[in-house]
Amino acid sequence: MKRLLALLFVAALAVLLLFLVTKMPSLGDPDNPARQGMATQYLERSPEDTGAQDAVTAVNVNYRGYDTMGKVGIIYCALMGVLAVLGREKRGRIQARLDGARVAPSKIVEVMVRFVIPFIILFSAYVIIHAEISPGGGFQGGAIIGASMIIFTTIFGLQEASRRMPQGLRVPLEGSAIMTFFVLGVLGIAGGGTFLTYAWPRVSTSIQPALANWLSVIVEMAIGIGVGFALISILFAMMREEEDLEPVA
Amino acid sequence: MAIFMITLPLLGAVLVSIVGYLKPHWLPWGALVPLLASGVLGCMLIGRIPSDGYISYHLGNWSVPLGIELRVDYLALFLMLLICALGLLALIFSRRYIVKEVSAGRMTAYYVLILLLSGGLMGFVASGDIFNLFVFMEIVALSSYGLVAISANSRAVRAALRYLLMGAPASIIILLGIALLYMATGSLNMAELAGRIGQSGYREILIASFVLFVVGFGVKAALFPLHLWLPDAHSIAPSPVSALLSGLVVEVSIFGILRIAYSVFTPHVGNLTSATSNALAVLAAAGVIFGGVMALLQKDLKLMLAYSTISHVGYIFLGLTAFNAEGLTGAMYHMLDHGLAKACMFLCAGSFIYIKGFRRIEDLKGAWRQMPWTCFAFGLAAFSLVGIPPTAGFISKWYLILGNVKAGNWVYVVVLLLGSLLGAFYCFRILYYMFFQPGKEGAWTPRPADVPPSMLIPIWILAVATVFFGLFSGLVIPSLLKAAGLLI
Amino acid sequence: MNLSHNYLYAAAMLLFCIGLYNVIVRRNIVKKLIGLNIMETSVFFFYISLGYTRNGVAPVAGAGADPTRMVNPVPQVLVLTGIIVAVGVTALALSMVILLHRKYGTLDTDQIMRMARQEETQAAREEGN
Repeated sequence: MKRLLALLFVAALAVLLLFLVTKMPSLGDPDNPARQGMATQYLERSPEDTGAQDAVTAVNVNYRGYDTMGKVGIIYCALMGVLAVLGREKRGRIQARLDGARVAPSKIVEVMVRFVIPFIILFSAYVIIHAEISPGGGFQGGAIIGASMIIFTTIFGLQEASRRMPQGLRVPLEGSAIMTFFVLGVLGIAGGGTFLTYAWPRVSTSIQPALANWLSVIVEMAIGIGVGFALISILFAMMREEEDLEPVA
Repeated sequence: MAIFMITLPLLGAVLVSIVGYLKPHWLPWGALVPLLASGVLGCMLIGRIPSDGYISYHLGNWSVPLGIELRVDYLALFLMLLICALGLLALIFSRRYIVKEVSAGRMTAYYVLILLLSGGLMGFVASGDIFNLFVFMEIVALSSYGLVAISANSRAVRAALRYLLMGAPASIIILLGIALLYMATGSLNMAELAGRIGQSGYREILIASFVLFVVGFGVKAALFPLHLWLPDAHSIAPSPVSALLSGLVVEVSIFGILRIAYSVFTPHVGNLTSATSNALAVLAAAGVIFGGVMALLQKDLKLMLAYSTISHVGYIFLGLTAFNAEGLTGAMYHMLDHGLAKACMFLCAGSFIYIKGFRRIEDLKGAWRQMPWTCFAFGLAAFSLVGIPPTAGFISKWYLILGNVKAGNWVYVVVLLLGSLLGAFYCFRILYYMFFQPGKEGAWTPRPADVPPSMLIPIWILAVATVFFGLFSGLVIPSLLKAAGLLI
Repeated sequence: MNLSHNYLYAAAMLLFCIGLYNVIVRRNIVKKLIGLNIMETSVFFFYISLGYTRNGVAPVAGAGADPTRMVNPVPQVLVLTGIIVAVGVTALALSMVILLHRKYGTLDTDQIMRMARQEETQAAREEGN
């Protein structure tokens, strides 16, 4: 009965939405209000304003950098939410019930993973640093770092992985992205603009694009590290020793 | 200046997590610092914003279509100060209380999430760009889900999961609304949108966008048929968290609709929005009655308070849909009053749980002998919630009713009065139990043994504030009226 | 008919409805979360197709690229944010699912509600004694 009602509701919604699609501006039309708005200005001005050739990175980090700070805040919030539900391990060794139960992988897999992971990390560094020039960026690179640790933890176990990524290393680095944003924001004010300005009005206009470029690279690296370590901490929290639900207060 | 009010709690959250790793004993004190700093900055801003103007801050030094703009007008500053105040008081209350409900491994996460919640709320309220609004709304949402689940018992996790399974689709619906708005106008800045919406030819898309916003924010604000997540979530969360959720998160979501309905889709394009606004008013009225009736039927104190929140959310919406300055002023003042009074009542409920572990209303019989301070504060807050004369609740209800009378919505006036009557019933029932009924054998000690001062002081600050803002409403009301008039 | 020209938008809307149906109807929590992810992905798909320009090129100012032919970069940034939100929500939801599974041994919402209700009535009975 509930299924039937839900199906009717969703079908009605689908009909309404499809009706809406017929009223939408034409797909791919260069005269769309969306394409005619700020998009043209971004595309034309981003190389001189920001020193970045990839317009998406320019918009993401420079023009709408405050949103990006919010994004890093969202990931940090998700990490803290996971830690609120699952709890952070005490300082010291981390236990994982799964360590004892896992099937030992074959030697071939272990050797290959040990060989490949440094290249994965190298690739993520490439993605992060190339944000300005080609599609890429801090979030993408950070996700790749997280993925590399997931592979490592899956094959070698949580104990090995946490030896290499101890809590003392992870805690400051998770928050490093927000701290970097804050510092750069204050520097932007000191440089004569408002919060999170990259092209400081106080320096000469000839070096402003280069300065903006360098600051963007720093921000992207900070985002990459912050996101990567947040994902690693989430992984460790999910994999660790069974902690049961508390009794109702 | 306003930007630091938002970013200091966010930075503070990160620093507090490091403090929590190195020196857990300093956690409660360390968490206070960023919010204190924000509060001080907020007070410094009070003189700077005229009641009919706003501060515009262009982030990254980019002019409006390219960059993000912060727009702090009088209403936004009003709410930001309320957020700082409630956040600080909840943190002070938490120092003693929270060890009873949160395990040691989750303590750091608790303080960090409270700071992230406060920073996110302030960022939401100050934003002048609609996508920035979405980003901060997600920070608020994720930290709320985490805070509801933090006691990590079965009920809490289930309530948090239900909250998430309703709140996340709501966020997606809002994202779709933003997409439709961008598709029809090509802009993301609220002031620019206000201009472009009037000129855009894509009527159906704009109407659909407004409907999506109302539905999405309606879920987050617990508008009547979309409120299903609220009772469990607000009643099972630790009491300081319930205070912040009922007193701030729900109201800031209503403020989101206020921004959409007044600053983006201005009243000039009433042909697009009026049908939806009327539907919204009907649902709000239903919520007032539903919340009141359900509150009467509850046996658990915090569940009753949660249903009461649903009722009061309806009041605030009825102020918004009156579309005149008095209604809007009533809505904003009711946000203040409900925030203060409901937070006070949740903290009092926390006190009862802390001292005795009592959650049921029946167990509160004769409570005033042992806990007179808590009971009196609860009584003051209850008076304000019902709307008895010298309290802020009376002023806010006065303006709500005045606004609806001016708009000719006599049905809603009756609904508002009925709601107050129901409120009187469920609040005074508790006061009757607390003061005029003898307690069970051995339940209460005959001499006062109330909660420690660090928990009593926030409760009493809130209770006194509800009376203060009732007696001295002249400090705020004329400016609110002018600021509201600007939006109409 | 405009619907066949705007086929990408139509596909996004259909996916949205499929995702919403799954969130409402499925009993298995992980399937609900997958439905939620389908909803989110459909909205991202909608954003990106909204930025499409016929015969467009990537918005990278390389050697001699023409700004008027590039696709719109703004929706891509908005989708980046959306993906991050989706990842965060999914991570948080999965952590709650982990805890629930440890306690109840099942992922079925109806069974979990039944077991929880049994627990609560048992606790109330013990408190009454």
